[in-house]
Amino acid sequence: MPTNPTLVWPHNYNEVPKEAFVRQDIYKEELERIFYGAEWHPVAHESEVPEPGDFKTARLADVPLLIARGQDHVVRVFYNACSHRGNQLETAPKGHKSEFECPYHRWLFSTEGELVGCPNQREFLPGFDRKDYPLAQPRVESFLGLIFVTMSPKTESLDDFLGDIKPTLADLMGGDGRLKLLGYQKVRYDSNWKSYTDNDGYHAPLLHQAFTMLNWQGGQGRQYATTRRGHIGFESALSVASGQNTLRDPSIIAFKGQDPSIGSRIVSLFPTFVSTKHLDVINLRFAIPAGHDKVEVHYAYFAHEDDDAEMVRHRLRQSSNLLGPSGLISMEDASIFHRIHIGNHTPGMAIFQKGVHDPAALETEMKQNDETGQLPRWEYYRSVMGFERSAA
Amino acid sequence: MSDIDSALLSAIDALQLRYVAALDGKDMSRWLDTFAEEDNASYICISDENLSHGLELGLMYDDNRARLQDRVTYITEIWAGTFQDYRTRHFVQRVNAERIDDWSLRMRSNFSVFYTPENTGVSEVLATGVYEDVISTGNGAPRLLSRKAILDTTVLPRYLVYPV
Repeated sequence: MPTNPTLVWPHNYNEVPKEAFVRQDIYKEELERIFYGAEWHPVAHESEVPEPGDFKTARLADVPLLIARGQDHVVRVFYNACSHRGNQLETAPKGHKSEFECPYHRWLFSTEGELVGCPNQREFLPGFDRKDYPLAQPRVESFLGLIFVTMSPKTESLDDFLGDIKPTLADLMGGDGRLKLLGYQKVRYDSNWKSYTDNDGYHAPLLHQAFTMLNWQGGQGRQYATTRRGHIGFESALSVASGQNTLRDPSIIAFKGQDPSIGSRIVSLFPTFVSTKHLDVINLRFAIPAGHDKVEVHYAYFAHEDDDAEMVRHRLRQSSNLLGPSGLISMEDASIFHRIHIGNHTPGMAIFQKGVHDPAALETEMKQNDETGQLPRWEYYRSVMGFERSAA
Repeated sequence: MSDIDSALLSAIDALQLRYVAALDGKDMSRWLDTFAEEDNASYICISDENLSHGLELGLMYDDNRARLQDRVTYITEIWAGTFQDYRTRHFVQRVNAERIDDWSLRMRSNFSVFYTPENTGVSEVLATGVYEDVISTGNGAPRLLSRKAILDTTVLPRYLVYPV
């Protein structure tokens, strides 16, 4: 067991020590206990690699991954390192190959990860067998095409990990996960990963002047947290926005989909994943910590396989401008990630207020705009990190 | 470029400089004025990664004049007071220009954009890439019918407030 960094955790559930966001020793410990520990981490959706030979590279914190669809149509996740000397195998973020060749000693791997060729084999260790050197893999499971990895043999099944959040996550991916990739927006935020996950997905609509200006106040909906890890789900109706006086092209806030009663769904999974279906935008956000003070977020946007050309077009036009690092109703979020991270270097606690009835209790059903949804997740974080809660 | 005379080249370079001055001066109405009045005038900011994989999703997808006007509204009204402001310096180099017909031409330019956040004062590269434009050269000064800003910078160093 590594020595645990010391941090005095407050007694009240609605308080989080700000130093948890800015200490490098805590970040190092988080890598071991959370990112390389007994959690599932989403890294891709199968629709990002639709054809045999399609691949995508990704990272689980610092660990490079290669996600490829084999000639047998099965999508696999490999460590992106040659099974010989560990050289990074593939460098492109995305592409198509019939096999993967390591340039260092020309070891050649099939898209299914088998070692199919290596020169000068007769000079290798006696008894060398190519079969013993496939590309190594983390544990992999998927939910409706959303691929999760874990490096720990102790992690429970993905089914148990997701628990009660599954129906909302399914609905968010068109009900069946038959998605079609529209493209990416990628950005690095100057923020600790926890400030990002704490403030993406949910925060008070007070931040968004767009909601007021477009007469588009939400607030009618359900927020729930699943108990153990504190995954958070939101389902909310969106009133029809009357933005015609503010916007000349209201198509950005038009709602053409099949699901008008619930215009907005959000699923936030411990530790970093946020996904949303907002109006007709389907958005999966893969967030990768890059040190204690940076988080890289890959916003992937999707259409549904059953969409006609007009609907794909609409999703494309709406997705490009609505969410993400320059989106009409999300650009301000990005600014908050930065400012919270700066503020977290000051002493004291970050304090949650809205919807908190009793600082000594955790709740699992909240109003849509309550801050209480984060608290079960913080309690889980505290327990995974082994920080002691103070006595009253 | 033999079919483009030096007077016209000067005029399209002047358009380029008006665009740069508008953005670096955060003057969004002057930015809008660099685009033609046509309903289908467009500005699209997209990563080269998306484009080269046949993915059309952009960071900004203003494919008609109404959306260009809305872009100005986002920045000057809807987002006002909510972001950490930054200033930019755009450096632009025309690398090709060719006639399409008597009323329009195609231009390609490299760009690099430095940014300096108000709160740090530390200047860094925001993005680099290429503009692909169609320019109307009909009546009056040339204006952009379409500008596509294709970013080599796949992973942005921060969120974007202003167009590139």
